[in-house]
This record gives sequence, C-alpha cells and structure tokens, in this order.
Amino acid sequence: MATETALRPFSLTDSDGTERRFPTGRPALLCFVHEDCATCQLSIPLIEQVHRAFGGAADVWAIGQDTPGNALLIEQHGLTLPMLDDDALGVSFAYGLDTVPSIFLTDGDGRELRSFVGFGREDWRGVVGELASMTALAEPEVAWDAFPESRPGCGSRSVEPGIHERLVAESEGSPLRARRVEIGDHDDVHEFMYDQGLTDGLPVIPPTPERVLRMLGGTKRDSQEIVAVVPPNMAPATVEKIAINAVMAGCKPEYLPVVLTAVEAMCTDEFNIHGVSATTMGATPMVLINGPIRDKIGLNYKLGALGTGHRANAAIGRAIRLVLRNVGGGRPGGTERSTLSSPSKYTLCFAEWEERAPWEPYHVEHGFKAEDSVVTLFAATGGPTMIVDQTSRDARQIGGSIGMVLESTAHPKGHGASDTFLVLCPEHLDTLQTNGWTKDELRARIQEVTSRPVRELLQDGESGAGIPPSMFGADGPTEEQLERRIPKFADPSSIHIVVAGSDAGKFSSIFQGWATGPRGSQIVSRKIEEA
Amino acid sequence: MAAMQILDPTDERVPVKRELTPRPEHITGTVGFLDISKPRGNVLLDRLEELFHERLPDVEVRRYAKPTFTKPAPEDLRRKIAEECGFVIEALAD
Amino acid sequence: MHDTVSFEIQGIPSVFLASTEFVEAATAQAEALGLPDVKRVFVQHPIQDATDAEMRMKAEAVFDSILGSLID
Repeated sequence: MATETALRPFSLTDSDGTERRFPTGRPALLCFVHEDCATCQLSIPLIEQVHRAFGGAADVWAIGQDTPGNALLIEQHGLTLPMLDDDALGVSFAYGLDTVPSIFLTDGDGRELRSFVGFGREDWRGVVGELASMTALAEPEVAWDAFPESRPGCGSRSVEPGIHERLVAESEGSPLRARRVEIGDHDDVHEFMYDQGLTDGLPVIPPTPERVLRMLGGTKRDSQEIVAVVPPNMAPATVEKIAINAVMAGCKPEYLPVVLTAVEAMCTDEFNIHGVSATTMGATPMVLINGPIRDKIGLNYKLGALGTGHRANAAIGRAIRLVLRNVGGGRPGGTERSTLSSPSKYTLCFAEWEERAPWEPYHVEHGFKAEDSVVTLFAATGGPTMIVDQTSRDARQIGGSIGMVLESTAHPKGHGASDTFLVLCPEHLDTLQTNGWTKDELRARIQEVTSRPVRELLQDGESGAGIPPSMFGADGPTEEQLERRIPKFADPSSIHIVVAGSDAGKFSSIFQGWATGPRGSQIVSRKIEEA
Repeated sequence: MAAMQILDPTDERVPVKRELTPRPEHITGTVGFLDISKPRGNVLLDRLEELFHERLPDVEVRRYAKPTFTKPAPEDLRRKIAEECGFVIEALAD
Repeated sequence: MHDTVSFEIQGIPSVFLASTEFVEAATAQAEALGLPDVKRVFVQHPIQDATDAEMRMKAEAVFDSILGSLID
C-alpha cells in the first residue's frame, strides 16, 4: 500500500566501513533483519537476489541488528549487498519496529511505497515487480514455489525488555531532561554519590536513566510538570526530579504517586517545611497513609509498623527527605540546624490499620471519603515515645495512663501544647473498647487527667521550665490564677489518634509535634489522585 | 567511555562532579613525595627534594614509597600521608 | 594515579608526575577515575635510559610546573 510517508533519514556504516545515507536519491529497499531469526534467514537469499538484479539502479540494503550476527549472515549466504550495522538499534527504534524482517520500499526521496513484516510471497512479488518498473531493469528469476506463502517474523531486538528502556532514555523524545552525570570506569558510583553529598548517610540506588524511566512509568503525570517548589533553595521539583530521588530511596514505580503527593503536601505554606527543617528542635515530616493504596503497595500498618523491613514504609519516607536534601538544598549544618536531630530524619512513614478500629479512620475524620487514598504530613519533633501499660483493665484507666505519658512529652510542665500524634496499639484500643469509647472520649480523658493548676506549672527552683511568673505582672499571679487548671493540650482536637501495630503487646507510641500557628507547621492532608 | 550514567537529583545550580580541591597561595607546611617505586624515579625525587630545600627552605619534605607500582598504595600508607602532609607529589610513571 | 586522585578528593592538593609517553594514558585514567582535571606534570622521555645527571636536569625543568600545580 502506498502511504507516501517520508521515512526518517539516517546514516549507518556498512560492513566495508562505508557510510550509507538514506534517502539515497534512488529507489531503495530497506530490509531490517536479525541473524537469530528463522524468517530472516529464509528471506536473506531473496534479498540478495533482488540486490543483484536491481543494485545498478536501486539501493537494496540489509540492516542488521547485531554486529556479530551481521557478519555471520554475510558469511553464511555469501552476501554482496550492503549490510548496514544497526547494532546500536537507533534506526530500528526510530522506525518503531516490533518485528524482523521489516521491509520498506521507498522512492528516491525516501517516501514509503510499500512495507511489510515477516515473510509474504505475494508481498515480495509485489516489491520485485515495482522495483522492475521503477528501474526499468529485468526481474530476477526467482523460484517462487520454493518459498512458503507466508511466515511470521521474530521480535525486533529494539523491543527486548531492558534494551527498549535504554533506547527510550536515549531518544530525542525521551521524557528525561535532568543533567546526566558520567561516572568514570574506575570510579565507584556509590563513593561518588557519597562524596557529592547526595545521600543521607545511608547508601542510595544510583539513578540511571533506565531506572528513572521505569519509575516514571508509575505515574501518568508529565515528567516536566512542576510538583512543588522546595525550600530552602526554592527550587522547582519536577516529576522527573522527584522520580530520580525516589529511585535513590529505593521506591518502586507504584509508590511514585504517593511520593509526589507527599512532596506537594510538604511544600505547602501551611506545612512550612522551611521552618520544620530549620528549627533547632529538630522536626521532620511524619508521613501517614490512609485508604486503598495501603494494601496496593504493601504499606505496613501491623507488626513493626514504625520499624524496619517494609520497603514501602522505608522508601516513601526516605524519598521525601532526599528531595528536601538534593532538590531543596536542605542539609544539616546548612539551613538544617537541629541540635541532636533524630533517626526519624532517615525515614518516618507508616499507615493506619483502619479496619481494626470501630471508629472513623484519620482521613475520614478529616473530610475525605473512605475510598480516597490520602497522605497526611505531621511535623514531628520527637518520638516514638512509648506508653507502657500492661495492667489497665478499662477505658478510664488506659486513658489515664495515655494521658500521663502524653503529659511528659517535651516537658511535663509544658501545657497548652500543640499537636500530638498518638499511635494506639490494638491491645490498648481493645481496653478502650471495653467501655466502647470514641476518640473524643479518649481526648476528653487525656485533657482531664493532665489538667493541673497553674501553681504546679510555674517556673521555679525545682525546674526552670514552665510558665514564667512575669506573665502575671509585677504583683505576680492571684490565687484565682494559680488555681486555674490547664490541660496538656491547647485543644482536644490537637490530639490525633490512629491505630497501628500488632495484635500482641500493650505498647502504644507518641509522636510529639512542633509549634503550630503562623510560624509553626500545620498538619496537611492531600488526596492521592492517581491511587 | 564512561561505564555508567546517572541523572542529577539536585536542582542543578552546581555541577555534580568531582572537583579539584582549592589551592592556597603558597606552599607551606609539609609536602609528601610518594615514590611509586618504578626504577629511576628516586633520582628525580632526590633532585626535587634538593630544589625544595634551596627555594622553599621553610617547607618540610617527607618521603614515602609504595611497596609496588602495580597497585594503588595500601590503605595505611595513604592514611599516614594524608595525616602528615598538606600537599602530595606522586612520581614517576613511565 | 589512583593515589593522586584519592588525596585530591580528600582535600590535599596533589600532582602526578609521569613521562611524556604517558600523556594520553594519563588523560584516559583521569577520566576513568572521575577527575579529568587532576593535575599532572610530564617529564621528558626517556626515563629508564637517562643518566643521573640527565634525570636531575629533567627535575629542574619541571620544578616550577610542579609548584604551579599545587598553588593557586
């Protein structure tokens, strides 16, 4: 069929070392072949015959897909036609070949007149006839009956897995735009990445173009879409840049939508990642995941949910930290000034065991639908702090214990505190459920058990922490003021509660927050659109 | 030809590549001569040492030698040189 | 050259001395080690057949270049 499409120009070297450019100015027959293909082996003698018949006035070329194989074909078949070397597969890839043989008949300007794949006797008869009329040369004597009517072709090398990805990564239409960094043959990519300050102190996976391309397969978003602007450098984080850091962190492509959404949430004004990173108090985003994505990607919310060994938990939390470090430029000693910092800055990501509790999961509590997958970021300065209570029997008791430990976070006298995240273990949840308590009832109990008179919360000789007496003016606090009771938290809604952990063990955990308000950080939740 | 290529994970305001260390205005302190132990190299280094004494008398020259030129220097020799010297001259490959 | 590069990476100004026969190999090695700009100074070939007096002259010929490679 005549398509009149101009095929892409190219230049390849033949087995004699001669450069061959297409289009040639003469009618051409391009025959893409591969030695390790029975149908190519069947076709090659015919192609040679066609060359001998029409080579004076047309360019009949074999284009072989691997150098040693090409040499074998020449030897095995005594070929005289030009055998062009496409071992790099650049032309095969540009032509979008799936199959070999792929045969293209073109005019002198490179416009396609006919093409077919595999072996077809009638297709070949048509090609020979057309070449005869274009060149005014005689048709060769072909033993057509010796050929089968048709044979399917084999897979083109350019679509083999691994090879195809490399070709996409190198092509002009590649979605990859990041600067490429060459690693010397005798250099060590891991030492290089460490020396360049690209890691968090633990090794990272080298982000080769193929790996990043594979990672980009996890999202439908355009690789150059700007997802967020990352402090302190205020650098744009494209999907591609985030994907590069996600590869380094150990993510699988299916985690990428979560990472993208988490980075978006992290870089909002409300979350204030700049302040979170800069504070000497040492805050880091705690990442909580809700919704169906948890099971789709294997997030852990049961045994050891806050610990090691689960790739999704480890890699997602790590990826956002690497984005902060590498894209945002936030590094300890630079704009990151945390006094002691914490291992949570390597990674802190887990999911809620939504099904275990009788109450609404976190995201539903905050206005999302149960079937939405949601990422929530909380600026955690401390934790996990453990609540050990193996003997409470009812809700009031366990609530009291939880409150007592919560009171001590940051400092026992630090009341009116901002947000905290309670990760309630299933056994403690069950103890609460002996009285069928809701989250609000637990919150009220926490506030009740932590309520103390101002008198006990003042700075004094025993402990310099607490409320400064100067707050009460030159005359100091009145009796009434001293008696006023202040609970640990500014508001019950500051107490965030999720359930996670294994069914065995009476140990819950707390992540304490940073300052809220205009110069602090607010919890941010975002729906994962691609989940 | 590079064996491997990675994509730059940073915001690209600074090149991600190994750089030469910044150099001071003058040579002071200790210069280490690392002899790779190919024949004749020591003659060259002897003369260089003399020249250092003549022209930069305040600079100390320390001599070290690899056990063999066929491999990089052993770790403890490298560490010793790095601790003791502010500059290194490695010689003489042919 | 491994050692020279290793010291350079650690923050110690370093220079590698080789015979003029080594120019291309040195470039290739520098690239392979990931530090193409590593400082090198070339000493006139031959080395093995040079007399002691000739070696001393070769040393004098490169002394200034060596100093230049270690300072700004």
